[in-house]
Amino acid sequence: MLKMSALSLIVAAGMATPAVAATLQDLENSFYPYKSGKPQVEGIQPGMVINKDNWQKAKDVLDPAMLEFVKAGDYEINVGDTTSFDLHASYIDATKERLGKVKLGAKVGEIEGADAGRPFVEEPSLDDPRAGEKLAWNFKYGYNWGDSAAISPFYWKFRNMNNSKVERTLKFNFHFLNFTHRTQQAPVPAITPNPSNLFRGTYVQVVEPFDVKNTQLLIHRYEDDLKRDNAYLYLGFQRRVRRLSTGQVTDAFLGSDIMIEDFEGYNGRISDMKWTFKGAKSMLLPMYNHNEMALDSETHQDEDGYQVVAFGGKGGCFPQVSWQLRKVYEVEAVPVDPNHPISKRVHYMDAQTFTIPRTNTYDRKGDLWKAWTIGQAHPDHHLPANKGTGVSIDDSFSMIDTQAQHCTTGQFKGLVDPSLSPASKFTVQNMRASGR
Amino acid sequence: MTKKITMSFNKLAAGVVVAIGMSQAATVSAAETQWAGFVENATYYREGRGISKFRNTAQAEFLKPLESSGAWTDVTLNGVLRATYDGVYDLNDDEFGKDATEPYLGSNWHPQGSATGGPFLSAGVPFPCDNDPTLCNNLDGYMDHDEDDARFPDFNDELDFLREFYIDATRNLDNGDQLSFRIGKQQVVWGRTDLFRVLDVINPVDYSRHSIYDELEDIRIPQWIAQAEWRMGPTGTFDDSNLAVVWNFDKFRPSNLGTCGQAYRILDAGCFFSSSMNLNLLPGAAFPGGANPYGSAVPIIHDVEDPDWALDNTQLGVKWEGVYGDLTFSLNALHYRQQLPSLHFRPLAPGLPIPATDGVFDIKFPRVNLVGGSIDYYSQAMDAVWRLETTYTHGEELPRDTDGHKETDMLRYVIGFDKNQLIPALNETRAFLISAQLFGQHILDYETDMPDFEDNWIGTLLVKGWWMSDRLSPQLIVAHDFRAGATAIAPSVEWLPTDNWKLTLGANFKTGGDETFDWSVNNGAGATPNDYEPLARFSNGPIGVANQEDEIQLTVRYSF
Repeated sequence: MLKMSALSLIVAAGMATPAVAATLQDLENSFYPYKSGKPQVEGIQPGMVINKDNWQKAKDVLDPAMLEFVKAGDYEINVGDTTSFDLHASYIDATKERLGKVKLGAKVGEIEGADAGRPFVEEPSLDDPRAGEKLAWNFKYGYNWGDSAAISPFYWKFRNMNNSKVERTLKFNFHFLNFTHRTQQAPVPAITPNPSNLFRGTYVQVVEPFDVKNTQLLIHRYEDDLKRDNAYLYLGFQRRVRRLSTGQVTDAFLGSDIMIEDFEGYNGRISDMKWTFKGAKSMLLPMYNHNEMALDSETHQDEDGYQVVAFGGKGGCFPQVSWQLRKVYEVEAVPVDPNHPISKRVHYMDAQTFTIPRTNTYDRKGDLWKAWTIGQAHPDHHLPANKGTGVSIDDSFSMIDTQAQHCTTGQFKGLVDPSLSPASKFTVQNMRASGR
Repeated sequence: MTKKITMSFNKLAAGVVVAIGMSQAATVSAAETQWAGFVENATYYREGRGISKFRNTAQAEFLKPLESSGAWTDVTLNGVLRATYDGVYDLNDDEFGKDATEPYLGSNWHPQGSATGGPFLSAGVPFPCDNDPTLCNNLDGYMDHDEDDARFPDFNDELDFLREFYIDATRNLDNGDQLSFRIGKQQVVWGRTDLFRVLDVINPVDYSRHSIYDELEDIRIPQWIAQAEWRMGPTGTFDDSNLAVVWNFDKFRPSNLGTCGQAYRILDAGCFFSSSMNLNLLPGAAFPGGANPYGSAVPIIHDVEDPDWALDNTQLGVKWEGVYGDLTFSLNALHYRQQLPSLHFRPLAPGLPIPATDGVFDIKFPRVNLVGGSIDYYSQAMDAVWRLETTYTHGEELPRDTDGHKETDMLRYVIGFDKNQLIPALNETRAFLISAQLFGQHILDYETDMPDFEDNWIGTLLVKGWWMSDRLSPQLIVAHDFRAGATAIAPSVEWLPTDNWKLTLGANFKTGGDETFDWSVNNGAGATPNDYEPLARFSNGPIGVANQEDEIQLTVRYSF
């Protein structure tokens, strides 16, 4: 409420100076797209179930891959009510402070003035040849996991889609930390010292099964988008930290259907892709209140009483969550590297949070290869510790290889708690110390 | 036999009881203790010899968080317990074990030649502590295992069933740095190499388990070590900086090369050490004064000078490592003892070139000072990682023909290249790992009578692929010793039918072992030169000497 009041004052103040008022209105529209009303699409109502018998009603609100799954009877979608996923006020304030100061550089991957907050709040235009790139920056510098967070535990299941067999279960801990672009957790706006000017760290630790136990992955992403990530891998049986070549970033990570580059929707450099904005529309996305979903008591139970999201549908490849109508930006990303294993990704970005709940990936021939779903949970209906964090919680995922009829599913326990992801965890030395 | 097996099972039972007891105690006191482990059978079949390994292993690992207090955090008790029974000594006792005699020394890797038999070298005595009390006494403290020791290698006076047992603790400093301590029985890994070691020399290695081919993780001999790290994290210059001090306060243990009679004895050193020179067979005219001073065969080894525990005999190392931009690096220094034996000749009398009557050599383990460093560099242009590692040592001793040994400085280095390459024709979704290494060694004070090369190189290549969600993984390892002309080829396929089961089917083929090295003792007696024994074992290296150890290998593991 305080946040809304403050913003109202800002908007009111901005009204007095027309040149600024438009920008502030853009900010208001960007962070609160449903303030003046929820999306309305004929035939789509909260509470309804979309399945193979009525899929036609959803042909304009589901992406092509998901529509095919529904049409084939592989998945039924429960439609929920559209809810506002308000991001943390500190992030919105940081955006406000930099309004009008951010601009793209001459090359893709260059940006000026974006040191915190959402870089571009204006509505993207199909007439702007760099609109897709701006949206990609909004994702990269989004409030995705806030300033830091952890997923612990994090279950990945490799599933045969045809016979529903779970072939393999990996149990991870994931940690994320923004070294820069910090708005809420101390220190703000950056952690120092930071001699190489790192933007973000991702640290992954495998807990089970035994053959990959103690495998660790550390990714350092630089503030300079033109500089390649440094990635390190620790293999438990070798007890050594090894540098990763970027070829492994597009590899099947530990045999899953997921590349490192797929993490969080897209986990690469802006400059690695050619970005094209394809339009804005109202679509169904898997965004929900975790505590109201079907939960899986078999995979995980703990003293917090927390349970992970259940999976079902064909092969157990689909999260049993509700989908809601959202304002969505469709963005196409074509790899710059002609040897990249994919021809393009089509991202469906949530306009309010700039998370990427849906992505379809196409192989080098241009055929649909993978359907990537990341369910977003509202932080106020999740673990008590996440309430009020303003982080759209990555809460479930499904990567379906439509050609191999195989999938990898993910079940999360996401925690926005800075004590779980100190800077010391994102060092090469920590990998050695944490490994046996 | 029955008595021996009973006694051995008693040892095994004792170990298991201790392991289970520890686990229960830990579980009772801390519910969150994490356990994992496996049971495994490894059965290897060697061409011409039959079963060469029937190793059954049970391993359990635990991590028990302890209560932290004050500035101390992440306090944990860690352990790895291992029990091994190798049934090859019961299933194939004609070929391996205390009764597995050989027709001549080195019959397992070369033709007889002229230096074995007659007045020269006898065949090695298998498991001398089961067969020859004198030899056993001479070898006391090193390579003196009896058959039960080989059958149950984890149960001994050094408590090797306790693979690791240490406490970790970290103290957060006011400036954000951390002091971390790890104290107990542990492995400390320096370096970045596979198969062969350059910097990774803090722990000795048990080559009797499977020569150089098992993961170092499984064959390093854990030591009682105190390690302190000052983790500075990012500094004004470095992205990561860490200073570590390693104090190996354990009683010195050398690497285990495998006792004569074991299936794996690197360089066949174990049989050489348990052989004798039959100088008593020579006529008196062959000696100064016209009389043969030897009333019986002369054992090759007279004594092992195994350093007692003393503060002065402990080993100390320092490592500074960090990250600087695209470089990860380390600078290392270590004072330790040579882990391979140095043979010191014992003359019958000062200045005489013939050995003492009670043994030809004493085994010593000289002190060594090492400085070295390593670098990883990611080349964006090649999308590959280069690894460099080098050491310079002072104090090592190498064997030579005419004087037993010589101290020499040594330079070793390795250049490694790792690349993940997608080969769409074979696998469209998963890149192959291609890892090549070139190890180099330069002997600075080289002598022509050293059975080694002034410069030599060993190249290794690993190609590994993954299919079926990484559940099927074939790989090929090739190692080639350039100067020895010896090659090892080890293809294998790993299959994970479930998260718990793993089957590995592999093979291991070697060529080489053709190098000879003139033994001056043999030449002096007027025999044909170009001998295999005893010196060519060094020049042929671990691959060449194993030239008749072609094997098919099956390993089945259930992990939990």
